[in-house]
Formats: sequence, structure tokens, C-alpha cells
Amino acid sequence: MSALKLSTDQIHLIESSPDEKIFLEGIAGVGKTTAGVERLLFLLAQGIPADSILLLTPQRTLAKPYIDALLIPGVSAGGQVSVVTMGGLARRMIDLFWPVIGGQVGFSHPDSPPIFLTLESAQYYMAQVTAPLLQQGLFESLVIDHNRLYSQIIDNLNKAAVVGFPHAEIAERLKNAWNGEPGQMHIYDDAQECANRFRTFCLEHNLLDFSLQMEIFTRHLWNLTQCREYLIRSYQHLLADNIEEDTPIVHDILRQWIPQFRSSLLIFDLDGGYRRFLGADPQSAYSLKELCSTQFEFQDSYISTQPVTALENSLSTILKPQETAIKTLNPSIERYHPKTALVHGYFRFYPEMLDWVAKQVKQLIQDGMPPGEIVILAPYLSDALRFSILQRLDNLNIPCVSHRPSRSLREEPVTQCLLTLAYLAHPQWGKSFQVTKFDMAYALMQAIAGMDLIRAQLLAGIVFHNRQGNLQLTSFSIINPKMQERITLRLGEKYESLRIWLETYQQEPPQELDHFISRLFGEVLSQPGFGFHSNIKSGEITANLIESIQKFRWAAGEYLSETGKSIGMEYLEMVRQGVIAAQYLRSWQPESEDAVLVAPAHTFLMYNRPVEIQFWLDIGSRGWFERLYQPLTHPYVLSRRWLVGKPWTDAEETATNQETLYKLVKGLLRRCRQKIYLGLSVLGEQGYEQQGALLTTFHKLFQQWQSEGEN
Amino acid sequence: MRLPKGFQFSQGSLQDFFDCRRRFFLRYIQQLAWPAVESEPMLENERFTQQGINFHKMIHQHLIGVPADRLSSFAFKDDLENWWQNYLDLYNRLEFAKQTAIYPEITLSSPMGNHRLIAAFDLIFRQRDNTFVIYDWKTNRRRPPRVWLERRLQTRVYPFLLAKAGGFMMDGKPIPPEQIRMVYWFANFPLEPEIFNYDEKTYHADQKYLAHLVETIEHAAEDNFHLTDDARMCQFCVYRSLCERGIQAGIASDEESMENDIITLDDTFLDFDQIAEIPF
Repeated sequence: MSALKLSTDQIHLIESSPDEKIFLEGIAGVGKTTAGVERLLFLLAQGIPADSILLLTPQRTLAKPYIDALLIPGVSAGGQVSVVTMGGLARRMIDLFWPVIGGQVGFSHPDSPPIFLTLESAQYYMAQVTAPLLQQGLFESLVIDHNRLYSQIIDNLNKAAVVGFPHAEIAERLKNAWNGEPGQMHIYDDAQECANRFRTFCLEHNLLDFSLQMEIFTRHLWNLTQCREYLIRSYQHLLADNIEEDTPIVHDILRQWIPQFRSSLLIFDLDGGYRRFLGADPQSAYSLKELCSTQFEFQDSYISTQPVTALENSLSTILKPQETAIKTLNPSIERYHPKTALVHGYFRFYPEMLDWVAKQVKQLIQDGMPPGEIVILAPYLSDALRFSILQRLDNLNIPCVSHRPSRSLREEPVTQCLLTLAYLAHPQWGKSFQVTKFDMAYALMQAIAGMDLIRAQLLAGIVFHNRQGNLQLTSFSIINPKMQERITLRLGEKYESLRIWLETYQQEPPQELDHFISRLFGEVLSQPGFGFHSNIKSGEITANLIESIQKFRWAAGEYLSETGKSIGMEYLEMVRQGVIAAQYLRSWQPESEDAVLVAPAHTFLMYNRPVEIQFWLDIGSRGWFERLYQPLTHPYVLSRRWLVGKPWTDAEETATNQETLYKLVKGLLRRCRQKIYLGLSVLGEQGYEQQGALLTTFHKLFQQWQSEGEN
Repeated sequence: MRLPKGFQFSQGSLQDFFDCRRRFFLRYIQQLAWPAVESEPMLENERFTQQGINFHKMIHQHLIGVPADRLSSFAFKDDLENWWQNYLDLYNRLEFAKQTAIYPEITLSSPMGNHRLIAAFDLIFRQRDNTFVIYDWKTNRRRPPRVWLERRLQTRVYPFLLAKAGGFMMDGKPIPPEQIRMVYWFANFPLEPEIFNYDEKTYHADQKYLAHLVETIEHAAEDNFHLTDDARMCQFCVYRSLCERGIQAGIASDEESMENDIITLDDTFLDFDQIAEIPF
């Protein structure tokens, strides 16, 4: 066992017999995961083979404390603990047992390998299936970005799979709950039509999106003797953390599986359920308690200091007076004034508030606070806000990291440079895209080291020709010598190398787009004198672009070859439409160990790690409590908790919003040790005055404090 | 030099250090993405690697109980058909299924210095006489000579780790090194496997060697991660432009590309947990 100071309850749980079935519950910050990690190490120290242990979390980030603990040299030699999500396990089992199951499920080509879709590639295929229907007038009454429309139809399919109802019932359930204009109900039928067609398309082309993976695993593979026996034989011990964030179908599987395990530890966060919009169902998770012979409840927080707990109590009283009133507050907490846990800055304009945040972070770090102990949170983190805050921190040399990069892959100048050059190198792609002199100048600026905007524009203005869509680069040598001197011979020489390389490439049969970019990067752009040489960031972005194209090629190559379309051209088209490379999750992104985290509040909760300091931005935003506008789907109606046929009314909406805000505020405060910094501005990010419920709550709190002071 | 948090040594990373310290530095310490071409021709190499991955997966599927006749329909093109038939012949000859226990696609790890040493095995099986055989499936185009395999870190790391970390396969008792054998089985040369027997003396020598290697890496200053003297290797290294060691990638079938010809799947085999989760 590690050198951590553990409570008696924790030790009791950790050292329980390796045959025990345990249910552990408690609020955030009471040491549940710590006990889970120590239980895992205890089992290993007892000689339990590591490869007989299954560690299950609803998402990978929640397994981090366990993974970190397993990587330390002190863990004894042996096999490897399987750290999985149920989605990951489903995918792995489908891949292994596909030759047995593929035909039974109804795929048209069971003798060909399955193609697993990412969110991006699922969206691509959804676009292929849905676009012709849109042209026929489906969703005519709905004003919504097409990509959001595709993602909501995919979301509906996923909900059906993880809640456990047939996907053909999606529209019926949504229509039954619809409480608005009856004329609008047809959009659910339209969404159903798209979902049905997408599913048929997937079965015809061996494509497996997340929903199909989950359905195949839960309805077919789990009931296949070979697969179930393989799983039961492989794993004798289960550790499942944050089960409240998992979906009912996962709980159904666990209900059947737990009796087969030699030991199990299920960990339940009493305040959790933050992933409801992804199908999380705390109620069905809690029902697993009855399968466990030993039950623990931890109560004492190891995280929050008394002032933060006092602040939590004060805010809870305002947000949910009826519930807090019946709880007896700890008298020792009442001695601490919540004011000491709160700092706020109040400004008229939003950028002023962001400046203040950056300055405060700088000051905290100067005073000795490790950057990794600071998080900056907002309900939603728009690209603009993320960019603004990261840039300010960067300017102050503060190490910072966001849950995703500050710019989407397709917006990166490096990506735009590579795709412009790719387009130039492939005249056979036709005239579908516009490449302007400006695009060319920006590409040259990226491609050639030392090329500034003025020279790039001069050069592009002379050598780049777009003759009715036929793009051409002419030689530097035929430029007027005076102009050559102005651009400089050194830059001209590099331009000439690039031009000749592209020209030579065009004389050979075209290659796959990812191969083309890899070669362009290695043979030209990363060579000395070019823009990507020794430029780590460029290498990283190029690697991610290549990976994105490669995944697209592997997922769509066969389908595109049937249709006769070029993969490279189709990729470019999808990038242009924002279907691909907009939200690309990058695999080449080294983890920053000690950096300020900038993230949406819900994302931070799913990291499940406490910090010393939290900054809350945009507290006037309605995003702290309101659901995203998603006209085609509904997380509550499509849940197992909703009575099919019952209409969703404003009363439900209000109650849900209130509950969401209450849980979110508590969840954040229970992951904060020292202080909350509030960034307040009269005008929000969009320039409008905001009056969201969280802001109102704080106003009430300040008023209370003011009247206490007056008294 | 501080290695990244959670870094684990593998035969692949140690081989990189052995071949070119700079490459180790760039790949594992700086974690530098440098997506240049590793070897030409790209498309053919990609297909070849994919076939290797499929071949490994099919054997795994077979060993966990998927019937061979169901799998055979997946081995219908290129080299895979031959490899699969050669494997089935081997399977029927050796009858893995009748061994005491088989462990396909298993990962073992052990503390080593301030880190851990890890290896993903294609197959380990325990025979009735309590001897253990490690099988490593190789799909390379040419049969490497014994002396070359002997020099590979894999030949040292795998039997060492089985002796060190495989006790749970032996009812909790350590496996005596004499009871371990490592077999490189070549899908293109099915009757010419290369067998390395292990023993106590080699085990201790490997322990000393690996510990020293790990310690050297853990304590090396940045300027100790120097470039290899053998510039031919740079033809098959993605960092060649960064190190200013050439422009174009080498051809995979050239004599110098032996290193590149070996597909070692512990670094490339699909691990679904490493794939970005679908953020549903």
C-alpha cells in the first residue's frame, strides 16, 4: 500500500477479502477513487494476476489515477490490468468475434472486415445518406447548420443503443413528448427516416458507428457463448469507478456479469450524473448496490477547505433552499465565512475581464501556486474565448493547455498551406475549389522560412496564375531581376525547389493525399531553409492532418472507389464543409504536466481531479444551466427514466435546469481546495448584457453578505 | 534527462536508443511528431504492414476459439493466404490447443530502474512439462540471419520479462529461465524458425545489461543523445530532415532496410484504448 494517509474506513475497504463484492458511495472529494486505486494495488500485492482485473470507467479520463498508479515502478512484475470503457470493450470484442457474429447481425459482407467509424467518419456517412433527402425537402422548416443536424441524428441512434430501445422508436418517443406546435412534429419523422437509412447503409457497407457497436455487443456478442466465456475466463476481478456516469445498458451488462466475478468494487458518486446528455443514468447505476454484499459510504471531504465548504453551503441554500434547509450544517463550517473563498473582478467589457483573469493567474503563479493547480472554466468554451484566453496566458509566459487546441485542425495555417499545395499538385481534381493569390501568398509564408507577407504577396502576385481554374506556378528565374532582388535570391531559390518538386510530382501517377503530404513534408517543407524545419508545432499539425486523412481513407476509401470519387478531393470537400477536421481529436499532443487548464466546466468535472484554484468565466451565461439547443434530440425524453408518452413541459424544463445548476456548482466546489475567482463583465462575449441564473445567485449572495455587514 | 511521466521502456524504445540515441530523444523524450516517409514505396509498405496486423489478429482470434474455417475466408489475398495456411500447418503440427495453458497477445511488465519495462507477446504457452515457449510471428519478406536476431533487443527483453514477470502463469512461482524458449516463426519461411533457448546465466547477464541500459538513459544529459554514426540508418528514419541527414526515404527492399523490414507489432498493433474515444 502507498504512503498515503488513509482513513479507517478506507483501509477497511482496501483490505477486504479478494472475494468481496463491494459498493462504495459518497460525494465528490471523500476519497473514493483513492480507495479504489489502493484496492487495485492491494489486489496486485495479494498476488492476483493483473490481467485478471478489469478496470471499467465511463470515459478514459476518469481512469487516469489508476493508470498513473499502475505505471509506478513499485507495482510488482506481472501482466497488465485491462483499463477499458464499455465502448472500448465492445469494439475489441466485435473485432475479435466478427467472423462469428458478422453474418448473424445482418451485414451484407460478413466475410470482409468491419470498418469502425469515428465520430468524424460517422458524420461523413450521415452526410452522404442525408444530403439527398435534404434536397428533397426534409427538415425544410428547421434552420440549423447541417453538421449539427447530422450529429443530432447520430446522437439519437446512440441514445437508443445505450438506453436500450429499438432505434426505430426514436421518432415515436420524441413526438409523444413534444409539447409545442403540432406542425413541427414532422421533423422527428424526418430524423427517423435519416437514422433508418443510415443504419441500413451501415449494414450494407460493413460500417460500425458507436450505436451499432454497442447494439451488437449488448444484444448479440454478450449472448454468444464463445464471447461471454472468453470474457468471464479472462476477468475475475472488477473495479468500476464513476458508475453513475455510465449508461443503463452498461449497468444491464454489469448486473449479469457481477455474479460471475470473484470480486468487484463499484464506486458511485452521490452528486454525479454529469453525463446525462450522453445517456448517464445514476438511478440504474445505484440499483447495482443490491448485488454487493459489502457496502461503504464515505463522508468526510479531503479536498475542500472550510471556507470553500461554507461557500458551497451558502450557494446551495440559495439554489435549493428546500433541500438545504433540512440538512444540518456542520457547526464547525459555520464559523468560516465563505467570503474568504471567493474573489471577484467586475468589469464592463469582456476583454477587460479576460485581462484581469490572466493577471490574477500570473500573480498566483508568482506567489508560488503551481500552474497545474489552476483551472479556467466556462459553461461552453467558444473557439474565440479559448483563443483569447490562451493567447493572453501565452503572452505572460504561463504554461497553459486546453481540452482541445486553440484552433481547429482545418483553421491552422499549416493545414491551409498543405491543402493549398495539395490542390496545386492535383490538377485532375478540377475546378471545385477556389485558390486565390492570397491563399497562395499565405501558403508560401508558411512553406518558406523567412518569407514575410509582403514578399509572399509580391511573389504570389507574379508566379501564381489561375487561368479559368487551371492553376499554375511559373519559374522564379523568369522574373524581372529587380523583383528577384526584392524578394531575395535565397527565398527565390527555395520557392523554385518547391515549384520543381510539385511539378515533378505531377508527372507521376497521383498518390494518396496523406502520402503526398508526408512526402512533401519530409522532402521539402521540413528541410533546411523551409518553414517547417525545426518547427515542432508544424510537425505536430502535419502529423494530425495526415492521421485525419488516413483515417478518412481507411473508413471511406472502399465506398468512394465504388462511386468513382477521388479520396483526396472528397477529403478537401469535407474539410471545406466543416464535416471533417473541425473537431479533430489529436493523437500527437504531448500531455502538459503542469499547466493551467482552460476547459468547459463539464469537461473539467470529467477529469475528476481537484485543484487549488478555479476561475469561473461567463457566469451570466445561460449555458450554466440550459441545455444546448438540439431540436432533433432530447436527453431526458430519450432516457430510461422518462415515461414513454408523457409530454415534456416547461415545468420539467425549469426543474431540470435548476437541478443542473445545483449539481454543477456543487460538483465544481467539491473539486476546489482554496478559492473561486469569478470573472464578471456587464457585457458578455457577444456584447450583450447577461442575467443567467448563476449570476443572479451570486447577486443574492452578495446582497446577503452586504446586509450581514450592515447588521 | 527526465523521461515523460508514465514512460515505459519497451524493446522498441531500447532498440531505438541502441540504434540512434538522437532518435530515442526525439521520439520518446521530446515526443516529436515528424510525419516524413519512413520507407518507400509507401502504399506497398502500408499494405504489407496492414497484412501483418491482420495476420496477427487472425491468429489471436483462432487461439481464443474462433473456428479456422470462419477465419480462412478473411485470408483471401496477397501474402495473407500463404501465411495463414502456413500457420494452420504449424498449429496442426504443434497443437497449441493441447498445451496446459496458452496466452495469446499478452502484455507483461516489470519495474526497471525508475520506470517499467513492458513487452507485448504474440503468444506464450505452457507445456505439460512446465516449459514455456514464446512465439513471435514474423512476416518479413526476407529471413533474417540468426546472428542479426541475436543482436536484437527483443531477443533479450522477451525471455527476460517472461522469467521476471510470468510467475502468475506458473501458479505464482518464478519460471526458471532454463524452462523458457523463444521462437521466431517466419510466415514466409515456416520451416525455418529461429529458436533461442534461455538459461540462468543469460538471464542474469540480460538483467545486468538492461538495467545498465535503462540507467544510462535515465541519467544521460541531452548532449549524450547523439546521432548514430551509421548514416545509412537515417534513410529509414522519419527524423532525417530534422537531423539534416538526407531528403528521401530509402527503399524497403534495399539491403540496409533490414531493421525496417521487421514489423514489430508491439509498437503498431491496434490498441483500441489508444484510439481516440468516440465522445458520445
